[in-house]
Amino acid sequence: MRLPKFLTIAFGKAMVKALQLAGRDAGNFPGLVLWTLDRNCLRHFSADCPIIAVTGTNGKTSTTNFLNRIFSSLPGDKKIITNMQGNNLDTGICSLLLQHCDMSGKVHADYLVLETDESHVPVIYKHLKLETLVILNFFRDQLDRNGEVETLILKVKKFLETYDGNLVLNADDPNVARLGLANPKNKNVYYYNVEKYEGATAELYEAGEGRFCPRCGEALVYDYYQYSHIGKFHCPKCGFGNITPDVQMRDLDLDNSSFTFEGERYHTKHSGIYHMYNLAAVYTAAKLYNIDHKIIHDVFENFEVNNGRLEKFECGGSTLLLNLAKNPVGANMTLRLLNQDKGEKELLFVLNDNIADGCDVSWIWDINFSIFKGVTRVITSGTRAYDIAIRIKCSGYDPDKIFVYPELDKAVASLFSTAGNKYAVANYTAVQPTRAALRAYISEKEGK
Amino acid sequence: MSGQKSLKLLHMYPNVLDLYGDGGNVEVLKYRCKMRGIELIVTPHYLDTPDIADFSQQDIIYLGGGADYEQQLLAQDLLSCKDKIAAAHKNGVFMLMICGGYQLMGQYYKDSNGEKIPGLGLFSYYTQASRNKRDRCIGNIVIDTQICGGDYKVIGFENHGGQTANVATPFGKVLHGNGNVRGGEFEGYVEENVIATYLHGPLLSKNPRLADHIISYCMKRKGESAELAPLNDKLEEACRKQLLKRLSENK
Repeated sequence: MRLPKFLTIAFGKAMVKALQLAGRDAGNFPGLVLWTLDRNCLRHFSADCPIIAVTGTNGKTSTTNFLNRIFSSLPGDKKIITNMQGNNLDTGICSLLLQHCDMSGKVHADYLVLETDESHVPVIYKHLKLETLVILNFFRDQLDRNGEVETLILKVKKFLETYDGNLVLNADDPNVARLGLANPKNKNVYYYNVEKYEGATAELYEAGEGRFCPRCGEALVYDYYQYSHIGKFHCPKCGFGNITPDVQMRDLDLDNSSFTFEGERYHTKHSGIYHMYNLAAVYTAAKLYNIDHKIIHDVFENFEVNNGRLEKFECGGSTLLLNLAKNPVGANMTLRLLNQDKGEKELLFVLNDNIADGCDVSWIWDINFSIFKGVTRVITSGTRAYDIAIRIKCSGYDPDKIFVYPELDKAVASLFSTAGNKYAVANYTAVQPTRAALRAYISEKEGK
Repeated sequence: MSGQKSLKLLHMYPNVLDLYGDGGNVEVLKYRCKMRGIELIVTPHYLDTPDIADFSQQDIIYLGGGADYEQQLLAQDLLSCKDKIAAAHKNGVFMLMICGGYQLMGQYYKDSNGEKIPGLGLFSYYTQASRNKRDRCIGNIVIDTQICGGDYKVIGFENHGGQTANVATPFGKVLHGNGNVRGGEFEGYVEENVIATYLHGPLLSKNPRLADHIISYCMKRKGESAELAPLNDKLEEACRKQLLKRLSENK
């Protein structure tokens, strides 16, 4: 059905109002209704400002939040519209626009910063004029929803063939770097990477995706791997790779969370190599908008996403670090942090198999648990608590030290029944319930 | 270590055919062997690389699943191994094949782009994928198998576009899910020394008796005792109970 623009917008806005009056979340539903009525409903919207989109498998939410903070810190009262909570499908973005547009569908703001699901990039930006697209990485993620990784990359590539806006690409991910070739006429392609750091390895350490040259099919050769299949690569046959980045993060010091961009030293709150790649993407995008370095210093140094992404909790002298992991690469990154901590610790792993998680949990077998150091006890929870318990057991971990509590409140209570440092990994639909359970337990315990 | 019992597994294309955690099957076998004092020696066969392994000396040949693009890349190399694999099969080497590995052992696989990849033709079945890439059989699956000396429910996760037909001896009867074809009655292919199936999960992770069945078969074939000491499988048992209950409820 094709509704006239005025009716579409009026109806959509009415839904948003009604939901807000009823105290309900308007994050996805109005967009879903419009989309059901008219699959091209996004064509009714336009924006009078630059649109910056962030996509890729891991790090979208963090990168989007950092960019939002940077643009929000610009002098003057800037209006930034962003989907910080990760409603990143076409229906979510449609709902967001409905909340901010006038009756002609025009969105008035200074910047739109939109986290966008990889598979929805073509659908959304067919209709909305995109100024800058940041692509972080392509890993295996929720394969049964997105189809195979290759299918997904080809989808984005097809969109990029006619795109001539700014394109910010991770030079160290062959799956991303190849997209710089999609439109040879696009002069606005910018690459970023992170200089080889102390944790880089000569061999692939964790499950990776980009093994073959996307141009000629030859096996890629790596000088080193930073993590997963991210690293310095080239094709011995056709020469693809060995990209000289436009922006490089240098002299990375993970112990002090500091690094250099273009001769200036910066600091950040968090450690972890994948966090650094996100910041390199943020810096490159910010550079396109000539952001004052003072703002970048301030945001890097002080900003934390705190949404289940490297989020810290304190309880009775114990520190817990919670990190979202939707795929093996994400989980492996948390295990790397856990191993950097030299002392004893306990791990909570919360695994769900809801639709948004992709239903299939076999990705947990690509997590490298054999590297576990100093883990004295494992607690598992979620709808697939037993699956993750079996996976950890078969890596050689003593099954008698694994405790399964499918209900989160019981899992959290068990976790805090002992002292010491804790780490928690939760997958997509598990992360918010885990945060809630942690907060509930801590506030009851601390009597707040 | 002359007294050490061992089994040899040839892992075909471990860095190409490893979608959906299928490498986990090797990890489960290795773990369950190790707990019985059996060393599982794993040798990889890589694409376009001279063989380090003697196919005829193996106890198990394992192939996982891969994406369409990757299956095309290795088709040529796999065909060059045809005679060695066929001889091993004939000699009673146990062959475990998942998804793409299952498809490639048949007559042919026609992928979602209409590209026809020749199979090894070891078995008479053939596979055709829908041209619509979205048309896939995806979800939890439970099948009833007659392996392990009686009824054994095998639990996994299927995710395949390919529809496999002309299966002479299926691995199991579908209780929940699709199987060889959408809405099908049967799943996989089986012989005394063959299990070929669409089940990921990985397959052996939630079906420890199936893993032990393979180990027992191989020990017996080597002329050693097929008796395996029981393991602490409380987690697996609880997992199976929970999943079978859940899946039977929302049928």
